[in-house]
Amino acid sequence: MRVVVVGAGRVGRAAVESLHEEHECTVIDSDPARLQAMSQSFDVHVVEGNGAGREALQTAGVGDAELLLACTSRDEANLVTAMLARRLSRARTVVRTTDMDYLEAWREGDLDVDFMVSTELETANAVSRVVGVPGTRQTDFFFDGEIQVLEFDLPRNAQLPFCGRPLAQAALPTDSRVVAIIRDRRRLVPGPQESLLPGDRVIVVASRHAARAWSRLLMQGERVINDVALFGGGRVGTAITRVLLDREIRVRLIEADAERARRLAESFSGARVYHATGFEPEFLRRERIVGATAAVFAMRDRTRNLYAAVLAKVHGVPFTIAVLEQPGDADVFDAAGVDSTINPPAETAEVMVRFAHDPRTRQIAMFEDDRFEVLDITVRPESPFAHRRLSDLPPTTSTIGALVRDGHALFPEADLTIEPGDRVIVMVEAERAGVVERAL
Amino acid sequence: MPASSSALSDGPHRVTDQLRRPLAHPRLGVDLATTLDIVGAVLKWFSTAFAAPAVVALIAGESPWPFVLAGVAALAAGLGLDRLVADRDSEPLGPREGFLMIALVWLLVPAFGALPFLLSGADQLARPVDAYFEAVSGFTATGATVLDNVESLGQGLLFWRQLSHWLGGMGIIVLAIAVLPRLRVGGRHLLQRELPGPTEIERLGATVRETARRLWKLYVGMTVVGILLLAGTGWLGLDPRMSLFDAFAHATSAVSLGGFSTQAESAGAFAPITQWILIGLMVVAGVNFLRLYRLIVLREVRAVSRDEELRLYLALLLIGTAIVASELFSSGAVHGFAGVRHAAFQTVSVMTTTGFATLDWTTWGALATLTLLLLMFVGASAGSTGGSIKVVRHLMLFRLARRELEIAVHREVVMPVRVSRVTIDEGALRSAVMFVLLYLTVFAVGSLARVIDARRVGGELGAFEALGAAAACLGNVGPGFGIAGPFGSYSSFSDLSTVLLSALMWLGRLEIVPVAVLLTRTFWRA
Repeated sequence: MRVVVVGAGRVGRAAVESLHEEHECTVIDSDPARLQAMSQSFDVHVVEGNGAGREALQTAGVGDAELLLACTSRDEANLVTAMLARRLSRARTVVRTTDMDYLEAWREGDLDVDFMVSTELETANAVSRVVGVPGTRQTDFFFDGEIQVLEFDLPRNAQLPFCGRPLAQAALPTDSRVVAIIRDRRRLVPGPQESLLPGDRVIVVASRHAARAWSRLLMQGERVINDVALFGGGRVGTAITRVLLDREIRVRLIEADAERARRLAESFSGARVYHATGFEPEFLRRERIVGATAAVFAMRDRTRNLYAAVLAKVHGVPFTIAVLEQPGDADVFDAAGVDSTINPPAETAEVMVRFAHDPRTRQIAMFEDDRFEVLDITVRPESPFAHRRLSDLPPTTSTIGALVRDGHALFPEADLTIEPGDRVIVMVEAERAGVVERAL
Repeated sequence: MPASSSALSDGPHRVTDQLRRPLAHPRLGVDLATTLDIVGAVLKWFSTAFAAPAVVALIAGESPWPFVLAGVAALAAGLGLDRLVADRDSEPLGPREGFLMIALVWLLVPAFGALPFLLSGADQLARPVDAYFEAVSGFTATGATVLDNVESLGQGLLFWRQLSHWLGGMGIIVLAIAVLPRLRVGGRHLLQRELPGPTEIERLGATVRETARRLWKLYVGMTVVGILLLAGTGWLGLDPRMSLFDAFAHATSAVSLGGFSTQAESAGAFAPITQWILIGLMVVAGVNFLRLYRLIVLREVRAVSRDEELRLYLALLLIGTAIVASELFSSGAVHGFAGVRHAAFQTVSVMTTTGFATLDWTTWGALATLTLLLLMFVGASAGSTGGSIKVVRHLMLFRLARRELEIAVHREVVMPVRVSRVTIDEGALRSAVMFVLLYLTVFAVGSLARVIDARRVGGELGAFEALGAAAACLGNVGPGFGIAGPFGSYSSFSDLSTVLLSALMWLGRLEIVPVAVLLTRTFWRA
């Protein structure tokens, strides 16, 4: 598939990263330095020019493209790009926006684009999902949240009953399946004889109920997050506040800029807003921020986020989530003991690139910088896997986590068969996603 | 720099410019000429109002000349001011000119309004200070009177007193904005200033001129409904004492939250049904007219149902009625359902700053009289015709206090003050605090001055009476306590006290600020 990506910023880069192996990508940007960096990392065409102009789009071959991703940080430019693409080609258009009004207009059918995605909202939803299953690094919802994919690290110091025992005999929460074990940055296929060890990074496909059971095991006791301290009230912080308040979670917002704090307090009557840096331990103690069940760090500066997160951790906030500025920062935050990191460009790209996949693929979740993907694919009748029992499938690097049949989620048992029309929730290595899609 | 030297150095056309602007002074920061030009225009229009009482006097067989002469005087003054400053239609009306113009209009209009009282030779209003007091009380919709025997006044004068309430209630300047094309520029500031209390004029979603017109249309409509309701009780025989003239008199007085009556016993002269109608009219007139317009004309129920000021206003009326009723019933002064009516009537009348009465509250116990005194500081809603502090300012200050208490504990918390889910900006909060402070200061000085003056002329005045008179005049309520009670009058007061209380009424109607800024030096400086 020919894909035109407009904007070589962080979102564009994340999109290209997950698309370049399977698809023919052309990237348009007005900054030659960014294009050069892009072409050095990935095998893509680059076109220097204005992505909202006809000339650059035609040079990039938009006429033959099947998908156009407009992912600059300028909403209006993205919309113009999509409008032009509509006239110049039959490509499907996906537009990134920061403005909730545009998103609303698109939902009501007033903007002629195929899909609209907001980095801020996707980031906020990612935070909200992790808050819903505390203890995990990342959580994705499939089948309206009936099936949840959790990624977490097994604590090194905890005594979990199933650690060290073969998966076939370990007493894991029912209705859940381990689909990946990452040990020393290498992925192990979780066969029946494999076992979980403390310190492993694990990806699990679980029912809603099982996800809570996993969360309880990881947090070592029942703990529901109902009180969040949010550091930073920029665009991302505003979106997070809105999403969490909608879920009736108490939000305390700490913003260092007086004017911004005032405007936040005006727009959110449900949230409590503080004008503070969040770096004073005395403030954290006095306002009982240290007693919050979770702290989210969404300030504009990664050093500030890191400092504030470590400070919160030191003072005993049980669960910390950081919104990353640069994807590479994840390791630093991990090393500092931050429990979960959310990568906004990756969250945005995850939604955008779905259109590059087979139309039978309803949803994609990316893990570990897009090394692994979990796909939701509907099985076609002529698939070689149709009517086969799960236990009879040839061993591959892909692992089926769950099926959706007749509106119910089914979790793998040995005699479960795959039927045409089933939705398969399958864990794949990113570069094999196309192979798996074609096979099913 | 002297004016002449600058004129000379700038050449001949500068000289003619100076000649055309005799009131301009290089060090003066206020454009006096423009101000007087507009005051003149308002007076010209105001002079037409004298035609109505002249006609009434003719019909009643009295002399129309006092009204005709007063009208001619107002017209002459208006034309004179116009002539004096030549044509200044192009000059914009700035905030300073607006303040000065409002203060002057509200001083001059009662001055011309007092002329018929003097010219008619009525004994009770023979002294100029008394006539002026009565006129100020009329136009500020206060309802305080120096008349000991109101019924001896001719129909023309009685009509004029009620008409002055009605004209002043919604505001002469609001009317002027509605009709004078000259006030299109700068009118917003004036409308904001003259509509009592802090209220958002933008919300009516029209031009300032259109807003002023809509307000007056609603006001006229309410008055007509009031007249019909009251006259209906007379026609249907429910209240034999209610004539069409009395219906007009009491409807205008109630809708403008004034308080003048044609009867010595005020509303007590009428049947219970009439008194209930008056309660209803006062309660409705005490609501923000912008909200009323949205409810009645635009049928936006949510604009009213979510209004916290309205809720608090109604709640305070109910609480006040309950306290007054408990005192009246326990002292045995009233019985049965009539007691509820009396309690509700005085509470509504005092809190909305009207000043009607069905009973003499002066003789009541401390709980009821103190409640009434305190209600004089509540007032009606912002954007109504009532006076005093206004419910919304109390609401704002309570929310402000809650915010400050919160900050005392949580130093870094940011909490906007909201009323009816709308954030009140810090400037509006500051001006509310400042207004209440100025209001209480003027009240304190006024009541002290009243006591000192009473001592000077050799009388002894109770503290409660002094507080009552100052609160009733400053709050545009009207009747106070003691001799100035609802069935008494202010006639026994010394000239100095009469002038003092006239000034309080003037300050109360203008909400102090337009007068207070005139006292600052920087107001006058260039």
